[in-house]
Amino acid sequence: MNRKKGDKGFESPRPYKLTHQVVCINNINFQRKSVVGYVELTIFPTVANLNRIKLNSKQCRIYRVRVNDLEAAFIYNDPTLEVCHHESKQRNLNYFSNAYAAAVSAVDPDAGNGELCIKVPSELWKHVDELKVLKVHINFSLDQPKGGLHFVVPNMEGSMAERGAHVFSCGYQNSTRFWFPCVDSYSELCTWKLEYTVDAAMVAVSNGDLVETVYTHDMRKKTFHYMLTIPTAASNISLAIGPFEILVDPYMHEVTHFCLPQLLPLLKHTTSYLHEVFEFYEEILTCRYPYSCFKTVFIDEAYVEVAAYASMSIFSTNLLHSAMIIDETPLTRRCLAQALAQQFFGCFISRMSWSDEWVLKGISGYIYGLWMKKTFGVNEYRHWIKQELDQIVAYELKTGGVLLHPIFGGGKEKDNPASHLHFSIKHPHTLSWEYYTMFQCKAHLVMRLIENRISMEFMLQVFNKLLSLASTASSQKFQSHMWSQMLVSTSGFLKSISNVSGKDIQPLIKQWVDQSGVVKFYGSFAFNRKRNVLELEIKQDYTSPGTQKYVGPLKVTVQELDGSFNHTLQIEENSLKHDIPCHSKSRRNKKKKIPLMNGEEVDMDLSAMDADSPLLWIRIDPDMSVLRKVEFEQSDFMWQYQLRYERDVVAQEEAILALEKFPTPASRLALTDILEQEQCFYRVRMMACFCLAKIANSMVSTWTGPPAMKSLFTRMFCCKTCPNIVKTNNFMNFQSYFLQKTMPVAMALLRDVHNLCPKEVLMFILDLIKYNDNRKNKFSDNYYRAELIDALANSVTPAVSVNNEVRTLDNLNPDIRLILEEITRFLNMEKLLPSYRHTITVSCLKAIRVLQKNGHVPSDPALFKSYAEYGHFIDVRIAALDAVVDYTKVDRSYEELQWLLTMVQNDPVPYIRHKILDMLTKNPPFTKNMESPLCNEALVDQLWKLMNSGTSHDWRLRCGAVDLYFTLFGLSRPSCLPLPELGLVLNLKEKKAVLNPTIIPESVVNNQEPVNSTNNHGQSVGFQNTFSNSQEEEEIDMDTVHDSQAFIYHHLNMLERPSTPGKEQSSGEVNMHPVSAAPLSVFSKESNSSKHSDHHHHHHHEHKKKKKKHKHKHKHKHKHDSKEKEKDPFAFSNSPASARSIRSPSLSD
Amino acid sequence: MLQSYISEMGRSAKSYCEHTARTQPTLSDIVVTLVEMGFNVETLPAYAKRSQRMVITAPPVTNQPVTPKALTAGQNKPHPSYIPSHFPEFPDPHTYIKTPTYREPVSDYQVLREKAASQRRDVERALTRFMAKTGETQSLFKDDVSTFPLIAARPFTVPYLTALLPSELEMQQMEETDSSEQDEQTDTENLPLHMSTDDSGPEKENTSVLQQNTSLSGSRNGEENMIDNPYLRPVKKPKIRRKK
Repeated sequence: MNRKKGDKGFESPRPYKLTHQVVCINNINFQRKSVVGYVELTIFPTVANLNRIKLNSKQCRIYRVRVNDLEAAFIYNDPTLEVCHHESKQRNLNYFSNAYAAAVSAVDPDAGNGELCIKVPSELWKHVDELKVLKVHINFSLDQPKGGLHFVVPNMEGSMAERGAHVFSCGYQNSTRFWFPCVDSYSELCTWKLEYTVDAAMVAVSNGDLVETVYTHDMRKKTFHYMLTIPTAASNISLAIGPFEILVDPYMHEVTHFCLPQLLPLLKHTTSYLHEVFEFYEEILTCRYPYSCFKTVFIDEAYVEVAAYASMSIFSTNLLHSAMIIDETPLTRRCLAQALAQQFFGCFISRMSWSDEWVLKGISGYIYGLWMKKTFGVNEYRHWIKQELDQIVAYELKTGGVLLHPIFGGGKEKDNPASHLHFSIKHPHTLSWEYYTMFQCKAHLVMRLIENRISMEFMLQVFNKLLSLASTASSQKFQSHMWSQMLVSTSGFLKSISNVSGKDIQPLIKQWVDQSGVVKFYGSFAFNRKRNVLELEIKQDYTSPGTQKYVGPLKVTVQELDGSFNHTLQIEENSLKHDIPCHSKSRRNKKKKIPLMNGEEVDMDLSAMDADSPLLWIRIDPDMSVLRKVEFEQSDFMWQYQLRYERDVVAQEEAILALEKFPTPASRLALTDILEQEQCFYRVRMMACFCLAKIANSMVSTWTGPPAMKSLFTRMFCCKTCPNIVKTNNFMNFQSYFLQKTMPVAMALLRDVHNLCPKEVLMFILDLIKYNDNRKNKFSDNYYRAELIDALANSVTPAVSVNNEVRTLDNLNPDIRLILEEITRFLNMEKLLPSYRHTITVSCLKAIRVLQKNGHVPSDPALFKSYAEYGHFIDVRIAALDAVVDYTKVDRSYEELQWLLTMVQNDPVPYIRHKILDMLTKNPPFTKNMESPLCNEALVDQLWKLMNSGTSHDWRLRCGAVDLYFTLFGLSRPSCLPLPELGLVLNLKEKKAVLNPTIIPESVVNNQEPVNSTNNHGQSVGFQNTFSNSQEEEEIDMDTVHDSQAFIYHHLNMLERPSTPGKEQSSGEVNMHPVSAAPLSVFSKESNSSKHSDHHHHHHHEHKKKKKKHKHKHKHKHKHDSKEKEKDPFAFSNSPASARSIRSPSLSD
Repeated sequence: MLQSYISEMGRSAKSYCEHTARTQPTLSDIVVTLVEMGFNVETLPAYAKRSQRMVITAPPVTNQPVTPKALTAGQNKPHPSYIPSHFPEFPDPHTYIKTPTYREPVSDYQVLREKAASQRRDVERALTRFMAKTGETQSLFKDDVSTFPLIAARPFTVPYLTALLPSELEMQQMEETDSSEQDEQTDTENLPLHMSTDDSGPEKENTSVLQQNTSLSGSRNGEENMIDNPYLRPVKKPKIRRKK
């Protein structure tokens, strides 16, 4: 559809082309957290009458703008600072989301907009008409930036360098405008000259080549000069300044690593692996790394763990680790590999528009996956794919779909492809963070699907083609029209694919890229002995939200006695049943080895099988070549065979999951066997632990022998001579290390007939802690000890409480006393000998919260609050905050909620602010439709303010606030709000005509209420207060049919929201509210909406008079609204005001 | 009575002598003692010279029983200097010579582990309790602050340093793994384990040597400017034209 545009090549939305930009920051003050500098943009007009130049800039104070050395006038207007104007009493999220999307569009560089509008001086108009170069010089400063640039200044003695103070750029998507004026778009490429003057003890790391470092003449500062000759988007420009330690990579001298003081040994170890990632990518892409150098900077208080920018990446310092740490190593390596993949696709190759983002995320995610496969093995890779698939499926089913390639046609409301979401997907800046994460996840999964279709070889050829085109283009100096080759678009990418592979992948793209939703299969089968045929039935659910219909091939693998056979079924509209002929007759008596899919032949004990059927197990879509969820029914013995003999880890994991429902001795045996099998993938074994615990709990009455896994653990990890003592730690074998860590955690989930953790298990875990001896270990045991504490926490069951007594020490359960003893000791030891990343503190805090929640220890957030303060390690803070969030929910504490929200506004660390909102959203103190004392008007106002104006410096945070608001109050007006006052009046006579007599007393009450100042219509007699904005209440109004007029006015009010003076609501209204809210759950929304329109028509004529009056006002309001947007014709078409006017009943008259 | 009188006299005399920082009482100490006890010292010479005093004869010298040669074993030890020579000789060496013997070493693995574990626990418990007592604490129970004292959480100025750098103990342990190998040699249980640590020891040294080498070579190269990394280049002096 709109791909035609791509076919023509890239068309800039701007009337000029940027070719070069200078950024010069001459002063950085860490004490005051301020930055002073200038930028100079070299632009070529592309139209003759260019008289305004729109640029992006946020937060910056702009002192002076000159165009070709002539002073130029400029206007600075940022509608995203305050999305809805504060006098507005609007509190419904729909309204906000529309307004927010409109505000973001109004400054969207991809639509040619910007916050900063510079008037080209009239002297230059002639110059412009000749399309000659313009140099725009802007002096700016930044004072205490709240986003975009993050200052970390530890509060201690010494110079800034001694303190380890540093600053770095950060943000979500294109956020460069927060720290210097630019065209903050991924599609506007130019070359760069970057200059930073910093303290002599500091280092400034930025994009491109460091050309030279020069002292200032007082020798107290130095200036770093960077040149970036590869055309790059402003959004990929970054900066990090601090007293960094410098490490030149011993394998690749072009690569330099930077870390904060004292961490150099860790940096050496952590980055020692990076060269292998480089080699891998360069080899598969058959393309050299595009930039002449690469820099990694590890900084504190990172915005995200990994941020990739042109020729440099900014990482969280918490990824650094020493050689003693096992668990962090793979995680950090993954981060390094991710960052590097994004260097190729994301930094070097940029995107044309937001709807092409999926290509970049998809490719970088896909090649990162290839690296995973090579580095960690096929098992890990398949496990990862399965995990990502499960995640995206769960998310889409929950929220209703993730759309990779949104197409926006004409701004019509009905075409909104994401109407199921509470935010707009038109802009990256309006997206919920979770949605964006899932978006990336889906993107790389779809790339994998494309690979399945066209083969990896072709896939890599396509990438290589994109890269080589881009690198040819990048070397073209000043021929900026060539530079658009460095931008990838969906159509360009698809064209490359069809050119290279000659295959048509259009159906695949249509299914997964142009359309949201996943597929949900339900499978079951029957074996027809007479025909020797497997009758497979595959149903689909494509009506629930987030699902779509799948039509096309589907692979089914059937393991029979004679071997494994693949069948490709054609899934069509109406065919549910598929007959699959079986190859083998059942013959259980013959002793013969059974061939598996991978050619292996194994002996199986076939006694568990159905004697009549040759089927061992069946798998639907074993290669995960559809984004789907499969619920398949087969008997328990088939799952057991699948677990034992299928070699694919995904199949094994599926089998484990399924076996949870079959608590039988046979399942137990199968799981135990897997646990013991050393060839088996360690993650499968870990999963089996938890499944075994669940099965044991289900079988508790018939369970024989020692608690599950105990003898196994003893055999594997305890001394031969004294089985109650664990061997001294030796973590050389990582597989058994992970198993050793996991087994106690799973065992602690065991419960006896009284639903308590068996004493034997608790004692066993306590002994593990007691005898834990790490003196001879090469590796740190901090993760192991932390998991032992988790195990202790898992063993806790709810306290038996006698008539709600207060929890004191005296009535403490003796087992709990033992647990507390350990936790106390561990937590105190951490103060003296802290563990890596304070894993033990984290586990202790979690355990204490579990004890509190189960009523063993008095519930009290004070401890967590002290650990949540700024100055603790981030993991500890998050664990503590999580506990506070949980406390807020369980104890419904308004005070704690306020404390959390204050932290959201004031905490110095952006990640913490984001995380609190995230945790509150995931574990909300209350949700929509739930009665809670916390839900009150003040909170609504506070949150509204937070998302409306309090978070304008951080896109991610604002979207987090929107998510929270949605979780708490839903899309419509929060139910806890008093009914909005309306500046509307009703003619009592008319009203009486329609009033349902049963309601009269209520309306009388209303009429008796003091008439507010809004009552400005002279002829009005009564005053109607029963309006509400929330849909639910709307229903009540409708269904009680006492006041159809009320409904109409209410409806009008919803559409146009006149601002009403007077905040105070009379008590009568507040009291009334629960009455009207009570029956709301009875009516479904659909029936309501139909009634709604009925009524609308029905009473139309009756109130024409009223409506006219109203309409008048309505229009007036429109003018007011549109005035704001007048500067911006693009925004107007998208503005909520115009959207509303389309639906407005006054127009439908 | 006489006995108590005499012993009191001796005790007092000793006190006096010790009071004057001597070890052996002198005549004057005795005199002071007697005076103190209310005895008229003047009368003493007269009493000594009284006519009808009794003289106790010295005890008759009896012959030392000679131990038969056959029974002597070894040379008797001569008196040390601080024993007056009139004291009897040391008995035969066999009666007092000692051969140092130790208790059978505890080689039972279980006991050892038990001991190590409980010792460590006790030390940790004592230490943390001490720290908790001497500093600020937090408590899980409002009514009781002493049973489960938690050392109060104190924010750091640079939190990532303690969290990321291995603690001194861990570093020490790493070294100990190399040096103190053979503690539990008797323990057959852990023998293979020992082997592996022994193996890993030199390996580790190798790697550290390697690392040193690389870092050495790195810095050397840096000096020679073999690595042309812009961050290693010297900072330039400002150019004159910049001065204006």
